[in-house]
Amino acid sequence: MATRRVPLVLLACGSFNPITNQHMRLFELARDHMHSTGQYQVVGGIVSPVSDGYGKQGLVPAQHRIAMAKLALQSSNWVRVDEWESQQADWTETVVTMRYHYGRILKEHKWSTADDFNGNTNPFLSPRPQLKLLCGADFLDTFKIPGLWLYDHVEEVVGRFGLICVSRGGLQPEHTVHESDTLSRHGQNIFLVREWVRNETSATEVRRALRQGQSVKYLIPDCVIDYIHQHNLYTVDSEKKNEGMVLRPLVKQAQQPVKSLDD
Amino acid sequence: MEGQDVTKVVLLACGSFNPITNMHLRMFELARDHLEDTGQYRVVKGIISPVGDGYKKKGLIEACHRLAMVRLATEDSDWITVDAWETLQPEWVETAKVVRHHFDEIFTVEENIDDVDTVKYPKKRRIEENNFEGSSVYKRRDATQLMLLCGADVLESFGIPNLWKQEDIDEIVGRYGLVCITRSGNDPHKFIHQSDTLWKYRKNIHVVPEWVTNEISATQVRRALRRGRSVRYLLPDRVVHYIQENGLYSAESEQKNADVVLAPFQRYTGASSS
Repeated sequence: MATRRVPLVLLACGSFNPITNQHMRLFELARDHMHSTGQYQVVGGIVSPVSDGYGKQGLVPAQHRIAMAKLALQSSNWVRVDEWESQQADWTETVVTMRYHYGRILKEHKWSTADDFNGNTNPFLSPRPQLKLLCGADFLDTFKIPGLWLYDHVEEVVGRFGLICVSRGGLQPEHTVHESDTLSRHGQNIFLVREWVRNETSATEVRRALRQGQSVKYLIPDCVIDYIHQHNLYTVDSEKKNEGMVLRPLVKQAQQPVKSLDD
Repeated sequence: MEGQDVTKVVLLACGSFNPITNMHLRMFELARDHLEDTGQYRVVKGIISPVGDGYKKKGLIEACHRLAMVRLATEDSDWITVDAWETLQPEWVETAKVVRHHFDEIFTVEENIDDVDTVKYPKKRRIEENNFEGSSVYKRRDATQLMLLCGADVLESFGIPNLWKQEDIDEIVGRYGLVCITRSGNDPHKFIHQSDTLWKYRKNIHVVPEWVTNEISATQVRRALRRGRSVRYLLPDRVVHYIQENGLYSAESEQKNADVVLAPFQRYTGASSS
């Protein structure tokens, strides 16, 4: 009998300002890759736009970012948008968002969180579902930015959950993992996926094109373009939002002692 | 209101489109933005002309499917269209002839609209001169200009022996003009500088930088399809569905024309040795 595959949910956190075809490609590439390992069955994908409290320059209101992501994912039968993170009053640490979704997923699959922590394996149940963080190549580098991540959080994201990182060729992700003791310790939990088509649509470039009145057709779905025009979303003014502000994680985490994890 | 000196432009893209990808469609959007940004042009139409089956390229599936996919892909564009003329020709047609055909089409339409037109354009013309710069008929202020839209790789292919006839390059670049989308790693300016022909007509070559790296090659798309990998968001959804419904792009289809010499090589090497 073939061993049963581990049900896997992919979670992508980010601004999605706006969501681009490239974001959706990441999900497709990650799913193909995880299936090809023979160990996982990807059962869902979650797009979790960051809340307005993040304080990033040019971040339009979450209500719009959510609406655009919903439109873009209308045609997907496995990736969906989740509003929980965007509805939190303050910016939420990625690990907190992961804990929330993992708790929800375990409940859905009739597992209790206790099973997870005790490492129980009941042979009569299907394998315990997993949640992994899906990210682009540049994401790994954010671990190196001082004050952006708490050490314990990196440990939990990579150690307890796991990371799927889609890279654009080149060995940069391998280097980043190698250079970090924490990341290399959890190397078996970091999946590096090669993108065989170079397709680097960044939301920053899309916003710039929109401000300059250039076409973004075929970079983001038509329904999202219509929405942007209807709501006059990305303008010179909107790009000035949060200008000069310090990113919320840098403020929030500077206030709390690095060791506290009681949240 | 539009100024008098704004020239209407039709963009023509030739190629395999095996299958059409979002990158092909992006090229049109980038070219239009770039040309209209100069204030000198207004892009009124884009034409996609898939190559005929006679081209004999490895893995080239039937033109009817490639046409159908382009048609589906351009359904939600209000200015990009597909044209079947090239695929309907019994043999492979030189790009210069395809450009000429479409120029004639535009001209015929305009001639019918505009009776005041005094410039008589011979229906069957013979091109003997090598310098097209003085041929005012192609550059009339009110006339629509036709430009060939291509990637930097096409520009560089001008340097491949026996792929192009010299007079065809002269005609395309000298008479009509070229809009060339650059991809990272290519330096078309250097290539133009190194070619006497391209240098001569450099004013007719519009180099458009691509601000988003987008190298969706149809070859890579076919490879992914053969291996059962997802190609979603690289091609329009409708094209992905069409490929699935018709079971296109398999290991077998990739072997089509595997040992056949490309039509241009057959024609030109054959011609020079006889």
